[in-house]
Amino acid sequence: MLPRPPRFCVALYACAGLLMPGAAVLGQQRSFISCPIVRDTSTVPCFLAEDGGEVYYLGIQQDITSDFHPPQLKHEVLVEGTVVPGPRVCGGIPLQPVSISVVKEINLACNTLLPAEPGIDAPPALRGPGPSSHPLELVRAPRQPLTGRQEFTVLYSFNDDYLEFGGNRVVNEAASYAKQAGATSVKVAGYRATSLLSNGQRLTEKAGLAEKRAQNVATLLRGLGVAAVTVDWKSEAEPGDGRTDPSRRRVSIVVTP
Amino acid sequence: MRRTLLTFGIALTLSAQYQNSFKATWLEPGRGDVLPEFDAFDSSSGTLGVLNASGSVKTDGHPFFTALGTNGRACVTCHQPTWGMSVSASGLADRWRATDGKDPVFAAFDGSNCPSLPQEKESSHSLLLKRGLFRIPIAWPPRNADGSPRPVEFTIEVVRDPTGCNTSREYGLKSAQPTLSVYRRPRMAANLKYVVSGGTPIVLKTGMLADVDPETGRPVSMNLMTDAREPSLRTQAVSAIMGHEQAKTTPSRQQIEKIIEFESQVYVAQAAHIFGGPLAVPGGPPGLGPAALRDRRAGVLGDNDYDPVFGDFKAWKGSDYYKSSVARGADIFMYRQFWLRDAAHINSIGLGNPIKRTCATCHNSQMTGQDLSAGWVDVGTTNFPSWTEPATWAETSELPVFKITCSKDADPHPYLGRVVYSTDPGRALISGRCADVGSIVMQQLRGLAARAPYFANGSARSLREVVDFYDRRFDMKLSDEEKEDLVNFLGAL
Repeated sequence: MLPRPPRFCVALYACAGLLMPGAAVLGQQRSFISCPIVRDTSTVPCFLAEDGGEVYYLGIQQDITSDFHPPQLKHEVLVEGTVVPGPRVCGGIPLQPVSISVVKEINLACNTLLPAEPGIDAPPALRGPGPSSHPLELVRAPRQPLTGRQEFTVLYSFNDDYLEFGGNRVVNEAASYAKQAGATSVKVAGYRATSLLSNGQRLTEKAGLAEKRAQNVATLLRGLGVAAVTVDWKSEAEPGDGRTDPSRRRVSIVVTP
Repeated sequence: MRRTLLTFGIALTLSAQYQNSFKATWLEPGRGDVLPEFDAFDSSSGTLGVLNASGSVKTDGHPFFTALGTNGRACVTCHQPTWGMSVSASGLADRWRATDGKDPVFAAFDGSNCPSLPQEKESSHSLLLKRGLFRIPIAWPPRNADGSPRPVEFTIEVVRDPTGCNTSREYGLKSAQPTLSVYRRPRMAANLKYVVSGGTPIVLKTGMLADVDPETGRPVSMNLMTDAREPSLRTQAVSAIMGHEQAKTTPSRQQIEKIIEFESQVYVAQAAHIFGGPLAVPGGPPGLGPAALRDRRAGVLGDNDYDPVFGDFKAWKGSDYYKSSVARGADIFMYRQFWLRDAAHINSIGLGNPIKRTCATCHNSQMTGQDLSAGWVDVGTTNFPSWTEPATWAETSELPVFKITCSKDADPHPYLGRVVYSTDPGRALISGRCADVGSIVMQQLRGLAARAPYFANGSARSLREVVDFYDRRFDMKLSDEEKEDLVNFLGAL
């Protein structure tokens, strides 16, 4: 299957940042937009996506505290990941790490739910499809006590300012440290970024998103009782390289005691 | 030991009451009744238990039981012990007949389909009499606590207006004080320690700050009301007295504190079944009966297999027909997997769509089955096409229909897009967010047998209709026996 035409860009992002024509060879990095596929198994479902005639394994259903947040039927998904050598998982080539960005607009064509098949199994899951067998790790203790200047990074899905559970936890950790350290300065900086797809397309996050992300996080920090919060943002989108793009969709929180 | 004896004593009392006493009592404001520590009332499948944990309550002069406004209503008017500290449609219909429609519960302001209608006509109160729905007038557009306008991501049009209120020049969207009228069931004023617990500074479902209690500055659970518009029991009480009771002056602090004190010590649950007898007995399931609600800790996540939402029902497995059915229903609630799909604020918050889960994924708060997080979810009761109203045009539909069109810059509703037809936009009328259209705060699953009809829009006349809705909505493929088990389980709560 050939790479998809830039229909997505026209429909969803008003062609912001679609500049580079043609395909780019990016080694084992895969960045593409596609409909997700959900495959049932004897345990939890697997989430897959197809690109260029190949099926990739993205992850499994877990709970809200997981680092992997699955895609959604009725929506296309931007997949940005690294191919992992080794056997297929759930019928797909595994990508790890992998970043998942659900495209906000509805696409009713994204509706593939496959039944379980013998021989296609999900990897072991911390939580099965029923109720949990262990308490959720809602709060994560730092591995070692923090001291001095610390930077906390909140990551976002593409074109999104929604603070997912992982980001929520980072903001809480930053606030906790800032209060405990009696911070004299808490600098919040927001960024938006570009994603370079494997087919050479560039997708740029919408204007104003860096400010919105930064202001939202600053509001949260102040609401959590943090003083001395200053806010800044970079209006221009960070460039994309097709390898590290998800790491640039971010808000940085620098806490100085 | 004392608790065990008390539980046993209540069971014996219930047994006697169950055999000898069925009653359905409408408490009128200012009548001066004394409520006993424990009382039992007839419900559709047995007996409802109402426990005043602080002991008997003298209602004479008590602000919960005294009309504080101008229309003769008190809090108790719509929060009657007989109907689980709410009020049922059948109870309202009886009251209409008993008073020829003169009881203050039928006040024109919100006890009729619209104040502009002829109030003497029964048809002008049809939503209250048939579905137990009160009119909730919501100022539009919404405002922040400081009075500043809240950004709104959508426009709203009235598409159908069977009550006439939304297009009324006096009460409607284009009136001098633009107002939307939606129609909702009153929630239980009981078991409230569970409802107000669980607040976190950042709301998981929005990634934004939770509302705070204006008195304490602390984040609140955002599980009060159908749309979480009131942050605390205090603000809710004041709002209800100024609105539903049409008071001209703000109630005193002392009055509000007495109301909160009373409603915070009332525990309500089903206490006995018509065939199964008393439900809360030593050695039985530990989560049944109102005393269990009094004794358990609030704010505990129950979506797990080691301390389930409503406790363990193993003791009833292999027991008589009814108890075995309830135990199977509890297992279905906790463990029966299905594809949970297209539910905004469940699938859309990072869990994925669909997910293979169970009822307890969403109804996860121990003892009540609400959501421990801020509980608004669009399960599909109010939004077309899954709404509970007729799927095609039908003159029998009595609810208004609104057309919501989201701005191009906003995040759309995650599963319905940028144009949504809804009988009640729910949380979106408060938040102004398109993604919230049709999201309704989950209700407690206690005392259900006494307070039909169900859902916030009163569309399910029986628990079977509730189960049927979920079966259709999520393609659960429940068998008739499974449906009966779920109904028996829900009725036992």
